Amino acid sequence: MARPTSFGKDTGLQARMLLTMFLLGLVYVVFMGVLFAAGAGVITIVLFAGVLFAVQLFASDKLALRSMGAKVVSPAEAPELHAMIERLCIQADLPKPKIAIADTPMPNAFAMGRSKKSATVCATTGIMNLLSPTELEGVMAHELTHIANRDMVIMTVASFFASVASMITQFGFFFGGGHSQSDDDGPGFLVVVLVSMVVYVISFMLMQALSRYREFAADRGAAVITGRPSGLASALMKISNVNERIPQQDLRAASEMQAFFISPVGKSVAGLFATHPPMEKRLAALQRLESQLQGQRMASIPA
Amino acid sequence: MGFLDAFLGKRKVAAPAATDRLFALTTAYVDLETAQGIKTRGAAGIVFQQLATADFAQILSDTEELLAGTGEETGSTVETQDDEFGYKWVIVRDDDMDDLVVSVNTVADNLSLGGYGDRILAAVFSFNDAQGKPLYLIYNYKRGNWYPFVPASGQQQRANEREFQLKAQLGGGLPFEEDIARWFPLWGIPI
Repeated sequence: MARPTSFGKDTGLQARMLLTMFLLGLVYVVFMGVLFAAGAGVITIVLFAGVLFAVQLFASDKLALRSMGAKVVSPAEAPELHAMIERLCIQADLPKPKIAIADTPMPNAFAMGRSKKSATVCATTGIMNLLSPTELEGVMAHELTHIANRDMVIMTVASFFASVASMITQFGFFFGGGHSQSDDDGPGFLVVVLVSMVVYVISFMLMQALSRYREFAADRGAAVITGRPSGLASALMKISNVNERIPQQDLRAASEMQAFFISPVGKSVAGLFATHPPMEKRLAALQRLESQLQGQRMASIPA
Repeated sequence: MGFLDAFLGKRKVAAPAATDRLFALTTAYVDLETAQGIKTRGAAGIVFQQLATADFAQILSDTEELLAGTGEETGSTVETQDDEFGYKWVIVRDDDMDDLVVSVNTVADNLSLGGYGDRILAAVFSFNDAQGKPLYLIYNYKRGNWYPFVPASGQQQRANEREFQLKAQLGGGLPFEEDIARWFPLWGIPI
């Protein structure tokens, strides 16, 4: 009967992702234990962070769009982009997100929103001018995959305890170990600060790793949706070439947005601290998908 | 796509839904014609992504040949066309609704047999209503549901009122798309 569809599985990627999430969870459980043992003062910080977390989850998409100067556009304002995304949504079986355009020459795209229904994808005028329709389609499919995979929620949840740890660390630096007046029926404040520092460093690295795996998954998803791995590969090459040439000045404003971009801007931070995998690795992964697609087909042609 | 798939970042595209949902049009059309005065314009199209693989073009031309062969008996003609968004259309022309549905299904079947079923987006059937105004019925292959599409004058404008009326008129006979957020327009339909 019908042959299997175009692409196989990537069990390795899923295994690494699962392991990272497991480790992150483990770090957080230990951290929680220490916090509870330390008593009330720290609990207040956690509650405070919880409120921040909720704000981040519910408002960050609007804040991000505003900080990028992005404007939601109607089908009449951007007919081609709307039509392109509508077709990708049929193919990916997703509801149509809101579509925004940011008027900046920096070629980039990002997706925001905590659910499929409330999502927004944004493209800059720079990327729309730079890429061919096929390439832009690859980029948009990558962003749609982020939405479908709920990457924004997953990364926000993953970063929650890291931000708590960072808050406690900063709190510790400001107030020193000065007020250790309480009796020692639990770990002292200094211990909590030290643990927080360690938790922050470890969870930060794990989060960046998780972010890179989600990027690989989104690249893969784009290839599966469009059936054109090389289209996205060619888009990534064009974008990274241009982004390396753009002066640093423009980029500082955008640094907080890095994690959500299709491609990071400015000088890349290597290895463990990067939110995005290195370009060569992304291109190599897409190349593997293309060979998978082509190779399977070559083999299936009757001699 | 379940929660776990999203959690692990897995992505698949769906293969075509069961064919009886497409064939529902053949019985529904009898009603459409007699009760609503909605008549086929004698054309239907199926739209899909074309992949740049070695066997894709072969499967497509085999399908065209097959349809041309059966067309000699039924009187239907077949052509292919690329649209402005890079998608491929196979267009069948025939005044008989049954032949149109069967032909569209043949294309979908052949693509599925070749392993490309997940590349099919939709089938489109063109009609005129009792006033002679054009309208389309679109079959979403991923979801196996039907919805109306009535373009209006102006760039990317659609007559939503008319579409809702059509849903009320046709809803019983066809497996209809209940979520109107999924009534995706297809601009530049070549029929």
